[in-house]
Amino acid sequence: MIAQDIAQTIVDPRAYADGKRIDDAFAYLRREAPLAQAQPEGFDPFWVVTRHADILEVERQNELFHNGDRATTLVTIEADRKVREMMGGSPHLVRSLVQMDNPDHMAYRRLTQGWFMPQNLRKLEDRIREIARGFVDRMAAQGDRCDFARDVAFLYPLHVIMEVIGLPEADEPRMLKLTQELFGSADPDLNRTGEEMTISANGVDTIQAVVMDFMTYFNAITEDRRKSPRDDLASVIANGQVNGAPLGHLEAMSYYIIAATAGHDTTSSTTAGGLWALAENPDQFRKLKADPSLIPGLVEESIRWVTPVKHFMRSATADAELAGQKIAKGDWMMLCYPSGNRDEAQFADPFRFDITRSPNKHVAFGYGAHVCLGQHLGRMEMRILWEELLPRLESVELDGAPRNMVANFVCGPKSVPIRFKMT
Amino acid sequence: MAEAFKTWQCRTCGYIYDEEAGDPPEGLAPGTRWSDIPADWICPLCGTPKSDFDMVEF
Repeated sequence: MIAQDIAQTIVDPRAYADGKRIDDAFAYLRREAPLAQAQPEGFDPFWVVTRHADILEVERQNELFHNGDRATTLVTIEADRKVREMMGGSPHLVRSLVQMDNPDHMAYRRLTQGWFMPQNLRKLEDRIREIARGFVDRMAAQGDRCDFARDVAFLYPLHVIMEVIGLPEADEPRMLKLTQELFGSADPDLNRTGEEMTISANGVDTIQAVVMDFMTYFNAITEDRRKSPRDDLASVIANGQVNGAPLGHLEAMSYYIIAATAGHDTTSSTTAGGLWALAENPDQFRKLKADPSLIPGLVEESIRWVTPVKHFMRSATADAELAGQKIAKGDWMMLCYPSGNRDEAQFADPFRFDITRSPNKHVAFGYGAHVCLGQHLGRMEMRILWEELLPRLESVELDGAPRNMVANFVCGPKSVPIRFKMT
Repeated sequence: MAEAFKTWQCRTCGYIYDEEAGDPPEGLAPGTRWSDIPADWICPLCGTPKSDFDMVEF
């Protein structure tokens, strides 16, 4: 069993905001107990999977390690009880691709897979470039200082995903606020209560209220698209059929919610974290300025560096053996992506930000059947933004201390103040 | 005349293998034909087997 102070750290949203605390805890675990059980106070015990190779092994075997049988994110015993009470026994407040296993997962994924494939995204490239250019112009107009997270990184991927889904620009502030309330539910700067919250039954109430607001919004969108379908993702979800029948209400609402939240927040975090890293590593910035063909390397390294999805949970459908440990049927497992992406056995000098790192086989998008559906869109958005921004950005440095969100699930920087020169 | 290069796509995640470009970080030099990639090769992004790739045209 993992020592209690380490067990408490890996569930503590403040440790992820601190950065060093969580990195140190995972480095210790990779060295001393790479696959071991933890039981933080108030939680059921779970296996902590910290090594890159073991994360791949679990994700690869998606029939042996299920997503949907238990909670897919860290929850306390009390929160789990409350969710099951609200949801008629289900451990999930929503039922998106993340909470599904086969055969449903494959059937529901197929519905929108085509939208997110590179050949479809190529059609969007010119429009996304136009959006990116607009944000770069706005940044230049701000003079020589901005908060890159709030002024650019939060807004650009949001605008793109709103267009892809087919939602009006006027609703962007509402969508950003709901997303930040959902993923930032423990962060007093972002959540509804303004108080620092641990994962608790109260936290479930707050998250449930945000989910209900999303559902109210997307109910109206569904009605509209059923009456008048358009060439957008909302119409695909509203009118889509799975196994010959329309999507269930919870499944449709969950599909919208995951697209409208994970579809921009992760890219925003990675973009903000990428610029933060460039500001702290002027050698990498100079390298990039001298050779723009390194932009895809910057994108990939930023994804590894930030790893905006901090964990997902799995549970074993049968007794299994992994890395010499006996996993029992029903055991709960925490896949620690930031740890996998700093694994010394996979990455040389993993705590160094290196845009020329090759290969860079990070696990930030997951692996196997549940690998991130939006990965090609996210990469493309970031590549285009850097292609537009870097030729005009002469210099950049931090203008105060950046700050991370207080969260243990999906998070990244919430403030990256910079001073810069642009043409 | 040499056969034109083709592209292959992973059904799970959309990764594209372009014979002309190869995938040097994966140890596949530019010009490596699909038929020359071992049968036990898996998608570098998601681990899907080679047999679950489709030939695609752009």
